[in-house]
Amino acid sequence: MPDHDEIFAKVCELLKPYNPENRPITMQSGIVSDLEVDSVAVFDLVMGLEDHYDVSIPMEMVSDIKTVGELCSAIKQLAEE
Amino acid sequence: MSLWDKYGTIQGRLDNVKKLINRDPLGVEFDDIMGRTRGRIGNREIILAGTNNYLGLTFDEDCMIAAKDAIDAHGTGTTGSRVANGTYTEHVELERALADHFKMPSCIVFSTGYQTNLAAISGLTNKDDIIFMDADAHACIIDGTRLSEASTIRFRHNSPEDLDKRMSRIKEKKGEFFVIIEGLYSMFGDIAPIDEFLDVTHKHGGYLYIDEAHSYGVFGETGCGLAEAQGVMDRVDFIAGTFSKSLASIGGFCVSKHPEFEIARKVMRPYLFTASPTPSNVSAALAAVGKINSDYGNELRQNIWDRATQLHKGLADLGYDLCAEPSPVIAARRPNEVICAMEWNWLLENGLYVNLAVPPGTPQSSSLLRISLSAAHTEDDVNQIIGKFAELKDVQPQLMENLMKLAG
Repeated sequence: MPDHDEIFAKVCELLKPYNPENRPITMQSGIVSDLEVDSVAVFDLVMGLEDHYDVSIPMEMVSDIKTVGELCSAIKQLAEE
Repeated sequence: MSLWDKYGTIQGRLDNVKKLINRDPLGVEFDDIMGRTRGRIGNREIILAGTNNYLGLTFDEDCMIAAKDAIDAHGTGTTGSRVANGTYTEHVELERALADHFKMPSCIVFSTGYQTNLAAISGLTNKDDIIFMDADAHACIIDGTRLSEASTIRFRHNSPEDLDKRMSRIKEKKGEFFVIIEGLYSMFGDIAPIDEFLDVTHKHGGYLYIDEAHSYGVFGETGCGLAEAQGVMDRVDFIAGTFSKSLASIGGFCVSKHPEFEIARKVMRPYLFTASPTPSNVSAALAAVGKINSDYGNELRQNIWDRATQLHKGLADLGYDLCAEPSPVIAARRPNEVICAMEWNWLLENGLYVNLAVPPGTPQSSSLLRISLSAAHTEDDVNQIIGKFAELKDVQPQLMENLMKLAG
């Protein structure tokens, strides 16, 4: 099972193309509010994570996720199911 | 703190653009619409090349007479829902005509295209079902999935392989799989491989729902759309469409090969709890269905495809980065939102209206100058459009200089 740090590293890697200004990413970073990733791009990012961890992250779950940390927790939980 | 604080970002974005071009690009007001391809703002005549009026039937004499006659016969509005007092002979006749056109047993008409997807998607699925939606799906499809209680999973645009992978990931399900794609995608103008999507969807025991809003009327031997053009219409479970493009009115429809679809009339909230489309809107659409499924419809389709080929070649020869093969929707990718807005404004000020399309309304966060052609455009109109885009290239240095000045 992937641990939180590993998932965080993967999220940061996949966030790179959506973060051209290279803003610092922490677990507390708001994906839309701080990193200014647009709402459609968030869903594109999620598809990459779904493929990497072989999980399904439904859109209604994504809508509730606000921070990078919440995204990592959701993936960890789904990967463990 | 106030109610408006949350709009700070969008307000800032709008203010920046307005500073550059001195107008709200999402609030263009036409002083007159003189016909299918011409409008007027102030004293300037504008070529309309972004109206989705694909067959140019908005000023068709028979469609206009049908609309006027319906007002004379049945008034300006129905003032009621389809399940109350809002079902007239016009609605029933149009549903029958569309069902016949698609050779399907069931058709339901809605008050707008947006409501069609909202109603059908939310009405056909519930919390036990799983929706799979193309990543480039239109906002009304997304909103339909939000109104549904079903879980929604996005798959990579136009990729049946990716859909297959995501459907295979679901090991247990209580309900059904419901797959949603579009025919012609409205922003890039690219088309779906429907036969492959049918194979994947049905392999997993799912239902395929296609939004043919932009393809109905312009694709297929009789104008039914892309599924007809690809020879697979009889295998598709649901096809949705709109009246506000080729059908030259406002409203929407969904046809199905499943006669059981009729029961959805009793559960679709955006169908139940809104007034039915006006007799005039419905009558204009009914007249337009007759035009689409006729020799005249074939002539219109021939013309729009000739114009699409002409425009695509013209813009490609100028070096524009086009998003797809020739189709009635031709979009040029621009470097960013600000440059795109300046170019869009220059075109408008020089007599050409196209659509400014920016994120998040576009795939891949693209900024686009989007053109939608009409069968009413002439060869000369398209030459003029190409000419404007050529001039736009010439004035590029000047536009950039202005931008730099404004940026300080």
